[in-house]
Amino acid sequence: MTACLKVEGATKTFGGLTAVNAVSFEVKPRSVTAIIGPNGAGKTTLFNLISGALPLSDGRVLFEGVDVTAEEPEAKAARGLIRTFQLVKLFPELSAVENVKVGFHLRSRGGLLSALLRPRWVRQMEAEIDGRARELLDLVGLGTAADRPASALSYGQGRLLEVARALAAGPKLLLLDEPAAGLNADESARLASLIRRIAEDGTAVLLIEHDMHLVMNTADDIVVVDFGKKIAQGAPDRIREDPAVIAAYLG
Amino acid sequence: MDSALIGQSLVSGLGIGCVYGLIGIGFCVIYNASGIVNFAQGAFVMLGGMITHVLLVRGQLPYIAAIVLSVLVVALLGVVIERLVVRPLWKRNAPMFVMILATLAAQIVIERLTFLAVDDQPKTLPVFTDLPPIMVGGVAVNIQSLWIVAGSLAIVGLLALFFKGTRTGKAMRACAINREAAALQGIPVHGMLALAFGLSAGLGAIAGIMLTPTQYTAFNVGVPFAISGFIAAIIGGFGRPFGAFLGGLTLGVVQSVAILAFGAGLKTVVALSVLLLFLFVRPSGILGAAK
Amino acid sequence: MTSSPSTTLREAARAPARGSLRGHAARAAPWLIAACVVGYALVVGGYAATVVAFALIYAIFVSGLNIFMGLTAQVSFGQSAFAAIGGYASAVLTTEYEWGLLPAMGAGLAGALAFAFVVGYPTLRLKGHYLSMATLAIGLITYEIAVQWDSVTQGYLGISGIPPLGIAGYEATTDRQILIVLSVCVIATVLAVARIRRSRVGRAFAGLAGSEEAARALGINVARYKLLSFLLSAGFGSLAGSLFVHVVGYVSPEVFSLHMIILSFTMLYVGGIGTIAGPVVGALVVSVLPETFRAFRDYQDLAYGTALILLLIFAPRGLAGLFTAIEEKRSP
Ligand SMILES: Nc1ncnc2c1ncn2[C@@H]1O[C@H](COP(=O)(O)OP(=O)(O)OP(=O)(O)O)[C@@H](O)[C@H]1O
Ligand SMILES: [Mg+2]
Repeated sequence: MTACLKVEGATKTFGGLTAVNAVSFEVKPRSVTAIIGPNGAGKTTLFNLISGALPLSDGRVLFEGVDVTAEEPEAKAARGLIRTFQLVKLFPELSAVENVKVGFHLRSRGGLLSALLRPRWVRQMEAEIDGRARELLDLVGLGTAADRPASALSYGQGRLLEVARALAAGPKLLLLDEPAAGLNADESARLASLIRRIAEDGTAVLLIEHDMHLVMNTADDIVVVDFGKKIAQGAPDRIREDPAVIAAYLG
Repeated sequence: MDSALIGQSLVSGLGIGCVYGLIGIGFCVIYNASGIVNFAQGAFVMLGGMITHVLLVRGQLPYIAAIVLSVLVVALLGVVIERLVVRPLWKRNAPMFVMILATLAAQIVIERLTFLAVDDQPKTLPVFTDLPPIMVGGVAVNIQSLWIVAGSLAIVGLLALFFKGTRTGKAMRACAINREAAALQGIPVHGMLALAFGLSAGLGAIAGIMLTPTQYTAFNVGVPFAISGFIAAIIGGFGRPFGAFLGGLTLGVVQSVAILAFGAGLKTVVALSVLLLFLFVRPSGILGAAK
Repeated sequence: MTSSPSTTLREAARAPARGSLRGHAARAAPWLIAACVVGYALVVGGYAATVVAFALIYAIFVSGLNIFMGLTAQVSFGQSAFAAIGGYASAVLTTEYEWGLLPAMGAGLAGALAFAFVVGYPTLRLKGHYLSMATLAIGLITYEIAVQWDSVTQGYLGISGIPPLGIAGYEATTDRQILIVLSVCVIATVLAVARIRRSRVGRAFAGLAGSEEAARALGINVARYKLLSFLLSAGFGSLAGSLFVHVVGYVSPEVFSLHMIILSFTMLYVGGIGTIAGPVVGALVVSVLPETFRAFRDYQDLAYGTALILLLIFAPRGLAGLFTAIEEKRSP
């Protein structure tokens, strides 16, 4: 089975600082892969390289066997590589459900002319998008907040809204940057089962998370980075025992 | 074309360029203290000449007293605009264009008030020293241009001393580099903003006063000056006061050559085209933008 | 649309039905105000009709500005350029070359769109004060060209004798006819903007307005939608310019000066930026109020400038903010 995502020697330097240093790993289809590591280890930067938000200094990114290293973020998104942000980037002027509807951009069609004429297929499509956006909100537990403005949501709710919005784009690979930050234990457990279900439904998940409970419960494979380098990779049980990981976290 | 004519236009270009440079410095001083682009900058230039004229003609004050008083009044007005218009928006973290719009509106308000208080006739001021132009290799250099160049250079020198040598100047530079850090070190950041407005307004007034004897001032000259000063700041790399001065000289010379080549009618078009050229091709200016 | 992995389970929680009497009233209020003002002008005619006609033309211009600035959260201080292109194309082609009204307007529209396309590409990459100044420069250059290119524009003198609005032999010459034609144009504009806003295109605009990075991460081609938004606003600007010259019968560069920019921003902020009704209400209020205090005509720019500063500081959401405040009071 070919890997969904293949990162080969990804490197990023900021001036003198090497934030990501020759990191390689793979994400298998229908799996959950977690990236863990101390603060400032380079996890978000790695996401930025994969999603195209930052250009790589060196290395390659392959998505479903195609070299997408130099592609713009929107082109990668169109291939099904969808991310969320550690610092949530909602559309604050819009309601929660409208935020999710924006996420359907890639999976709907229509330009200026159809907007102005609003033929029957557009009205049908709009109704369908509205229904499915609300379903997605229900799925992440925000069903009752659908018509609240995004700016009125709590920090944790905002993160969940980002997840719903990303799901709306129909990802083949979903990159989640600390989705559980700001969630309480219940919400976090619900998120864990949601992540599992997303993977089982056919979307690979790459997850950055500090909540070890969530990581150990959801991940099939864990990549550990420290100071920009990958120091270990393996199944949760292996990582738990790995001396290098223990040293990085304790030392 | 006759070389004396070209020499002549270079000299006048340098003179007006100094003025653009001073206005550009005004933009940079405020931008550095606050990240704000203050479009009321042109109003200060207009008021410098206008208030001096009023004090001189209607107030019968001696020339030098009129000049000093005018600069002080305009500097004070700069502080007032900061308090009334800019600070409320700044505190609310209003977006950049709202700030530009508000200061542009302030410019229009000042313009209109001047129109109502004085009239719409062009006003001029006497030259500082009534001497015949000196001839340098066939080029007639009028004395007021020398005053402008010498005065501007002196001001630029004084500013350099102020920013490098005084505590207040250093504090302002610290605000420019990192406002939060400066605030943590106990530098009164709001006070610095008011000071920056006062300083820029005073600079604009001086520029206006020096220039008015060679041209004229009227209630509506402010916007073109603001734009020229802004262009100077862009050419020099926005936020670099001394770059802005060089940018002003560049713009002044380019404009005078353009007047020779295409006629005076197109001088604004040429200046704005220079602006667009820089914005599209090298927005960080000749020296690279600050920070 | 392909099926998403997560929509396989359907849970039945729907949002509560929107709207109460008060909410509907609050949303209808701006339109009622607008209809009353236009209705009054229709009945009274004469000078009131002239003022309101002018306001309706501005309503179209400001609606266009609102697409770019309100819906897409970009900045343009140079929309007057597109009004000038539309206005001068109409004026020159109908007087000098005796074109029909619609072809001349169409030519102006095409010219404005072509110009917006050419300048949009390099301009829209800029941000902050760079974007503000680049657009301002474009507006001012257009003004200067209108002044200097007197073989075509007749410079400061301007072009007079421009034929009135009319299609296929029917001409709108009386105040009331003009008002009706313009009202139809405004209604069409408002409907168009409203439909755009609630479409896929409008959501893309809102997305890039909220966060360019997030929009790109969702596959929205930010550069393309910015340009589309710019073209739309240029198109409405051009149409407004054309309508203006046909209604007034005369055009000079002063029509498209910095004054136009300040005035249209005041209208946008009075009515409420980013709302559909805002540009219409703003244009009407800003045009009508100073006229009711006729004595203050000398003070118009002063009043606009002061009003704009006060609005930016104290009521950045304009009258629309007032209406939503009323609407929101309905539910705790
Ligand atoms: N745009 C940038 N310019 C310069 N340095 C950067 C930039 N982005 C990140 N860095 C630096 O790169 C390093 C890695 O940052 P990154 O945000 O990737 O860490 P992280 O692993 O996501 O940390 P956290 O767990 O706190 O989110 C840090 O030292 C950070 O300061
Ligand atoms: Mg991070």
